[in-house]
Amino acid sequence: MWTRSSSSRRRGVGMAAETPLVEMRGITKIYPNGVVANRAVDFEVRAGEVHALVGENGAGKTTLMKILYGLEQPDAGQIRLRGQAIRLRSPNDAMRWGIGMVHQNFMLVPGFTVAENVVLGREPARRGLLDRREAARIVRDLSAAYGLKVEPEARIEELPVGLRQRVEILKALYRGAEILILDEPTAVLTPQEVQELFRAIRTLIAQGKTVIFITHKLREVRAVADRVTVMRQGRTVGTFRVEEISEEELAARMVGRSALPVIEKPLPRIGPPVLTVQGLHYVDEVGRHVLRGVSLEVHAGEIVGIAGVEGNGQSELVEILAGLRVPTAGEIWVDGQPLPWGDPRRIRQMGVAHIPEDRFRNGAALTASIAENLIADRYFAPPFSRRVGWLDLKAVQQHAQRCMAAYDIRAPDPQTPAGALSGGNLQRVILARELSRRPRVLLAAQPTRGLDVGATEVVHRFLIQQRQEGTAILLVSADLSELLTLSDRLAVMHNGEIVALFEDLREVTEEEIGLYMLGLKRREG
Amino acid sequence: MPPEALPIERADRAAVQAARRRQLFLDGLRTLGTVGAALGVGFLITLLVSPRPLSAYAALLTGPLTSRNRFGNWIEDATSLALLGLALALVFQARQFSLLAEGQLYLGALVAGILALHLPLPSGIHAAVALLGAAAVGFLYGLIPGALKAYLNASELVSSLMLNVVAQRLYELLLTYWLKPPGAGYTWSDLFPGSAVLARLLPGTRVNAALFIALGLALLTWLLLYRTSFGYELRMVGANPEFARYAGIPIRRVVLLTMAFSGIPAALAGAHLALGIHQRLILNISIGLGFEGIVVALLARNNPALVPLAALLYSYLRVGGDVMERTAAVGSDLVRLIQGFIILFLTAEALAAWAQRRFTSRRSNHVGA
Repeated sequence: MWTRSSSSRRRGVGMAAETPLVEMRGITKIYPNGVVANRAVDFEVRAGEVHALVGENGAGKTTLMKILYGLEQPDAGQIRLRGQAIRLRSPNDAMRWGIGMVHQNFMLVPGFTVAENVVLGREPARRGLLDRREAARIVRDLSAAYGLKVEPEARIEELPVGLRQRVEILKALYRGAEILILDEPTAVLTPQEVQELFRAIRTLIAQGKTVIFITHKLREVRAVADRVTVMRQGRTVGTFRVEEISEEELAARMVGRSALPVIEKPLPRIGPPVLTVQGLHYVDEVGRHVLRGVSLEVHAGEIVGIAGVEGNGQSELVEILAGLRVPTAGEIWVDGQPLPWGDPRRIRQMGVAHIPEDRFRNGAALTASIAENLIADRYFAPPFSRRVGWLDLKAVQQHAQRCMAAYDIRAPDPQTPAGALSGGNLQRVILARELSRRPRVLLAAQPTRGLDVGATEVVHRFLIQQRQEGTAILLVSADLSELLTLSDRLAVMHNGEIVALFEDLREVTEEEIGLYMLGLKRREG
Repeated sequence: MPPEALPIERADRAAVQAARRRQLFLDGLRTLGTVGAALGVGFLITLLVSPRPLSAYAALLTGPLTSRNRFGNWIEDATSLALLGLALALVFQARQFSLLAEGQLYLGALVAGILALHLPLPSGIHAAVALLGAAAVGFLYGLIPGALKAYLNASELVSSLMLNVVAQRLYELLLTYWLKPPGAGYTWSDLFPGSAVLARLLPGTRVNAALFIALGLALLTWLLLYRTSFGYELRMVGANPEFARYAGIPIRRVVLLTMAFSGIPAALAGAHLALGIHQRLILNISIGLGFEGIVVALLARNNPALVPLAALLYSYLRVGGDVMERTAAVGSDLVRLIQGFIILFLTAEALAAWAQRRFTSRRSNHVGA
C-alpha cells in the first residue's frame, strides 16, 4: 500500500497542467428503486485546485463522489486518474489511488483518542502492540504539516464537531490521500469553524493536495474554490472558473428551469386564515439560531410556497409545525387554536397533515406493509380499532384497497412491504395517508424530490385538488419552477428569516427570487 | 407504466403471493440449514475429542427420547425457554434490547414462592393467585428499565443487566434469611402445600400445567402483536422509530409497556420453576436461563407463534447435550460449543438480513445530494 501511494505522490508532482488529475466520463448510476442519480455525467478535476461541486439536494453530487470513492459502482462510464483508466471497486481501491473522502457523518470511534482514530487500520506497531508514542508523533507531524491543529491524546467524544472533522481529514491524509473529497463539510460547522476549515483547505492546496468540495452554499464557493461544477437533476450543467461567474448566474444554473408540464390551475377560492405563525424563533441542539422571528399566514384554499437555499430554516419550520421540534419562542395557531407544541398526534387531530421531506427516513416504515403504513395516523380510532384496542384487519384491508385505487398505488396487494416500492409509488402511499383524512392544513416538504416527471405531475395534481377543496397548504421546495407553478403566494427564506413575500407571482422572475434566496436583496413582505 | 416501476409493481398478485409463500418456506429451510450446519460443526469437534464419536453424537441427537425422565426434562426445559423466548421476542420486536428476563424470572419465582408458603388459600385458586402474583411482579419490574429508557433515555441494556443482579440478590437474601426454615441444611424453603403447586401431567416426570400456560401465552402474545392497536404501535416503533414519532404514535408509552408486558412470561417462567418443577424455592433456581431465551427468540425470528417450536428445538439440544455428557464422557464444554455455533450462525444470518435491508435502504435514501 505504502509503495503504491508514495509512488503516485511522486508522479503527481510536475504533471502537465493540461491533463486533468481526475476525469469522470459518461457516469450513469441508476439505483435499484429506479431513481436515476447520475445521467452521463462528465466531471474533471485538475491537480492542485479546490473544485466545488454544487447543486440542490438530489442533484446527484454525493452519488458522483461516492462513485469516485469506490462506495458505489456506476452502471456506465469511465474514471481516469492522470489519464490512466482505473476501476474503483471499494474505498480501499480509492485509497490506494490516493483518493480520500470525509463524509457528512464522521466515521470515528468516540471512545478512542485522536491519534488512535487517525492510525486505526494502519497502526504503527512495536512488538505487536500499538505504539502510542509513534501514533501521537504521526498525528503531531501531520497536524504541523497541514496546519490542522488538534491534540493527539484528546478523546473524540470530548471534541467539538469542527475538530472531529479535522481528525477525519488527518485520517485521510495519513492514508496517503492526494485528492480529498469533502462532502458538505460546512453543514455542521459554526461560522468560525467554517473560516478555520477554509484556512486548512488553503494549506492543503499549498502542500500540493487537491480538494473536491461538495456544497450548496454559493458564498462558500466564492470563498474557497478555484473552479466550480454545477449539477442539476443528475446531470452536469457546466464547469466555470469562480471569478468568471457571479453568484446570481450560479444560482440560476443550479435551480434552472426544469421542464415541468403545464398544469391546469383553477382560480383560487381563498377563505379565512387557517394557519398563523407569529414571531417564531428556534435555536437548535448545537446552539445555532435557525429561525429568527418567522411570521406568516396561510389561508384556506391557497398554496403558500417557501423558497430558499436548503438549510435556511425551512425544514425546521415545517418540523415545528408538524410537532417534531419544539420552538424556542413564538406562537402558532390552527383555526384559532394554539398548536400543542411537540405533540404530533394532537396536531394531526387538529387537521394538520405532513408530507415529510425525506420519505425514507420518517415517511414510512419500510419493513411494514402498505396497509400498515396507511393507518399509522388513525389505527387507534374506529373503524380500525374497536373496543379494548382490537385491530379490525378487515377495515385495515379495505382502507388500503380504497387508497390504492384512489391514489393509484401500484402493488400486487396491501401486504406488499413499503420498502419494495419505487419512490413515486411510496410517495403515493404517503399522499394517500396524509390527504385521505381531509386535512385543514397540509405541510408539503419537498413533495417531489427524487421523483421522475410523471410522478411529479401526479403529486402536483393532488396538491392542486387539495387546494380546491379548501386546504391551507404550505409548500416548501428546492425546485423554483415547482414553487412558481403551484404557489398562490411565495415567501423567500434566508438565514432563518422571511426576506420577501410575493403576493402576485406574475410579476416576479426566478432570477429575482434567486437574489433574495442568496441574501443579496431583502424587503419587508 | 412509468419507467420507474419496479418488478414488484408490475407483477401480478397471485405470482407475488406464491413467491411470498415460497420465501416463507425458504426461510424455514434456512433455519433448519443453520441448525444442521451447526450440528455438522459439532460433529467435527466430537470427532476430535471423543474416542467413540458416533455413539457420543448419537447420544446428543437421540438423548431426550431415550427415557421417560429425559423426555420429561426436555419438555420442562422447553416450557421455561418458551416463556422466556416470548419475553424477549416482545422486546426485540419493539427494537428494545432489555435483557431483564433473568431478573424477572427470579422475582416471579420469589413472589410465587412467598404466596405459596404464606397465603393460606384453598386448592384451585391458590396456584392461580401465586401465578398472578408472579405475573404482576414481572410486569412491575419491567416498568423500571422501561421508564428509565422512555423518560431519561437510559440504555435499557445496561439498566436491565444491573436490575438482574438486584433481583437475584434480593431472592437470595429473602430465601436465606426468611424463607429457609431455621436449622435446615440446604438453602431451601419448605415444600409448598399441595394447593399451590402446579398439577403434574406425566407420571415420572416434572412436566406440569405450565406447559399449557406457555402455549396459551404464545397465542396471546401473538394476538397482542398482530391483532391489537398496541401491538401495531409496538411493531411500528420497532420498524422505524422516526416514522412512529412522525405519525404521532406514543413512543414512550410503547417502550414502557413493552418492557412491562415482557415481564409477564419471564416471571411466569420463574413461577413454573418454583411451583411446577422444584415445588419449593432453591438457591440458584436459574443459571442464566433468561439469556438462553435470547437464542429462542432469535431462532423464532421474534415471532411468538414460532417460539414454542424454537424452544422445543433448543431444549432438545440442551437435554441431548446433558445425555451425551453423562453417557459418552464428552464434556459439557462441547455441548456449549455446539450451542455457541448455533447462536453464531443464527446471528450471522440475522446480521446478513439486517445488512441487506440497511444497504438497500441506504441506497435509496441518499440519492444524490
